[in-house]
Amino acid sequence: MGVTRLLARLAVRSARVLVVEAPGQWLTRVELEQQMLRRGWGTAWTPADADVLAVCGAPGPELADLTERLWDQMPGPRARADIPSPSAVDGALDAAASLLLDTSYHRADARERAQKPQVTEDHEDMDHGDMDHEGMDHGDMDHEGMDHGDMDHEGMDHGDMDMAPEGIALAEGGEDRDGLEMDVLHLPLGPVLPFWPAGLVLLCSLQGDVVVDAEGSVVDGPGGLPSGGEPEAPPASAMAARCDGVVALLALTGAGRATTCARRARDALLRDDRRAAREAIETLHRTVRTSWLLRWSLRGVLTLDQSDLARHGLPQGCGGDAHDRLSSMVDRLRTEIADAEAASAASHAVPWEKVPQLVVGLELATARLAVASVGMEPFLVDQGVGHA
Amino acid sequence: MPDGALEIVPVWWAVPAGVILCALAYLAVALDARLSAHEDGHGGGWTVPLSRTARLLRQRRRTTLAADTLLWRIGGAGMFVGAFLVVAVIPLGRWVLADPQVGIVWFNVVDVMVWALVWLTGWGANSTHGLVGGYRFLAHGLAYELPLMFALVAPAIAASSLGVGDVVAAQDGLWFVVWMPVAFVIYLVGVAGFSVWGPFAPALAADIAGGVLAELSSVDRLVFQSGRFFFLTAGAAFSVPLFLGGGAGPVLPGWAWMLAKTVLVLAVLVWLRRRIPLWRPDRFMEIGWMVLLPAAVVQDLVVSLVVVRGG
Amino acid sequence: MLIGIAFWMLAVVAVLSGVAVFMVDSMARATYALALSFVAVGVQILLLQQGYLGLITILMMVMEMAVMAVYMVMFMGMNPALMPMDMTHGKKTAIGASVAAFVLLAGGALLIPWPEQRRGAIPGDLTHALGLEIMGEKMLVMAVMGPVMVATIVAGVVLAAHRTRYDRFGDDLSRRPADDPQSGGVGR
Repeated sequence: MGVTRLLARLAVRSARVLVVEAPGQWLTRVELEQQMLRRGWGTAWTPADADVLAVCGAPGPELADLTERLWDQMPGPRARADIPSPSAVDGALDAAASLLLDTSYHRADARERAQKPQVTEDHEDMDHGDMDHEGMDHGDMDHEGMDHGDMDHEGMDHGDMDMAPEGIALAEGGEDRDGLEMDVLHLPLGPVLPFWPAGLVLLCSLQGDVVVDAEGSVVDGPGGLPSGGEPEAPPASAMAARCDGVVALLALTGAGRATTCARRARDALLRDDRRAAREAIETLHRTVRTSWLLRWSLRGVLTLDQSDLARHGLPQGCGGDAHDRLSSMVDRLRTEIADAEAASAASHAVPWEKVPQLVVGLELATARLAVASVGMEPFLVDQGVGHA
Repeated sequence: MPDGALEIVPVWWAVPAGVILCALAYLAVALDARLSAHEDGHGGGWTVPLSRTARLLRQRRRTTLAADTLLWRIGGAGMFVGAFLVVAVIPLGRWVLADPQVGIVWFNVVDVMVWALVWLTGWGANSTHGLVGGYRFLAHGLAYELPLMFALVAPAIAASSLGVGDVVAAQDGLWFVVWMPVAFVIYLVGVAGFSVWGPFAPALAADIAGGVLAELSSVDRLVFQSGRFFFLTAGAAFSVPLFLGGGAGPVLPGWAWMLAKTVLVLAVLVWLRRRIPLWRPDRFMEIGWMVLLPAAVVQDLVVSLVVVRGG
Repeated sequence: MLIGIAFWMLAVVAVLSGVAVFMVDSMARATYALALSFVAVGVQILLLQQGYLGLITILMMVMEMAVMAVYMVMFMGMNPALMPMDMTHGKKTAIGASVAAFVLLAGGALLIPWPEQRRGAIPGDLTHALGLEIMGEKMLVMAVMGPVMVATIVAGVVLAAHRTRYDRFGDDLSRRPADDPQSGGVGR
């Protein structure tokens, strides 16, 4: 028993948390991230790697259903932390930590679970409308709902199970952008995906790793999200939200130090520590301006000129490529932190309905960078402030 | 023929050699965690490898629907084993487990194996993210492997031998890194490449939810991840006999210099991770073929000219 | 003795995994069965003390199979790992051709009057000696062939690509940077 106990104690010290963020709960998520950092806990990007499932806010029926599936996919030992508000984070994580230590509980938990992954009987709830299926978490083909469209056409309706081994529909061919016939895979991005606008679901059709088609939706219906313009929010919170967007974009580029810097600025803004925030933003500004590697990796990502902006109906602030947008976001933060009055009312927000048309034709990594570079504000400055 | 300077040790020395590799890899993980912790402004770090290992050992294994389990497990296990094969030809000071005439090619073969192993790991889970991760790694492979091969050629030309012992012996007096710096840098790029490390990690990146890692848990994740660190360590260690004069150095014995130099190279590789953003495969492809490959060939040409004139 | 046993075992592995290429029902498995077959042959060459040739065989084949698997899966693959798929096509022709090839090679191997015992001494550097034996005077020709083959491949790809430099750089070739669906990293 001694060894088991020691193993458990050691293991809990570097637990990994899969974060489910209900739309509008970014403040809870940020608080959670801070607490995790303090405990030396890491973020899990998929249920496969997660020990703790942390649900920020009260999920709607669709997200709750998804959360349940993610929970089923976690290997265990596993603990679930429901965190309705930022103040609940600490207690919930403590509870999760002590539950993770309870080895006998996890033994029992493991015995009760299905020993084999299964396709959930998704076709039965067809009537819920197909977005139920696509929700599908972080988009792995496996476990469950695999689904998406194809299944109904080929597999289920025709009852031709050979065409859908294990209940999973097969890929169909299609012409790729170079005129070659290539297979099409369907991959839902979001709503539970790291550095992704909370609540957004993008059902992508991939050839290789190029997005050839995308369809957008919002988990639990678009009612929860503002579809454009900037909602009312206190300036510090709005700034922190924009800063959080910068964190996401930088994290996706993999620039570790710059990301840390942006996160520090965000946290300082939320603490209302303006001096620390100003320092961090200055450092961030310097890094973004001088790092040619960062420029190199963001240059030319989703370049939007005036005609593109007009065609998509996007705000002026979105012009240029991802690096321009990053610079302008950091510049804006810098101006605002220096002089709160100077805060421009100009909105850079992109309504979520516009996102799908922006990513078509991009390679998956570029698509992620593109979404992070334009689509952040409306999803972040959330109605958490409005509704709460 | 192998140079007399190296002494072939009995096979059972493979065990201590493996232990040294593990210890160095532990150091790499710990250093990486320590650096991250330092930047994030909280303490801890040195015991992180222990707790991460404990966590993964405690986790249950899981599989995915319609996974190609055989290929999936081969991929992970292969990553774990690969670096140990490299260690066989790395001399620790005077001692080496084997010094074949084609030690450098041996190294190259093992690092090419990583192509198959990473892709298989991505493929086996039957997950789109994993598959995309596999594609990304192979795209990176196509870009870094040829420059790496040409970088490996430079010391071999200078020593007129593909044997690691001969390469060490040929650096008596002047380390190769001094007059083939380009090859050395490209070699380190290659090491990061086949370790899926730092800028070469898009195959495991957050934007595709961990890519190749997306469905790995428990011991499967442990062997894959530690395999990466073993490869990073072995790659750093192999750079020492190749470019940094092997065990050459004043006062201390050869093995101590070998270890010290390895730790230094490893520390640089670890330190660079947080400073360099990911190199997206589509962008890096052109860098590999338009910049690194010509640079490596020119380096080889320079080395050849020096050898021809000098010899 | 030990080496003899290892050699024959590897031969069995090579043949069995070669057979597996046609028996398995997934593209990834077929590809990597072929890779395994080649690796076994490569190790056999190693056992013949041809270090360089053996290792290069393994290296090349693993690389090739890795790339081949990706092409197969992307162009005609199904969802990862799923679709059971017959790995054989054009069976009659294929069987005829392979039987003929087998008879030819096996017949050659059996009918050649192999020397009863070793004549001459073992050369110091086997790889070098083998290279001279195979190439001999033709080394210059082979050295020239390499670049010619590369040039052919490049030219073939250029001719096959449907985008030309006019699509990239505009009608007067003056557009910079080029208009590409996927921009490269050098920024041309």
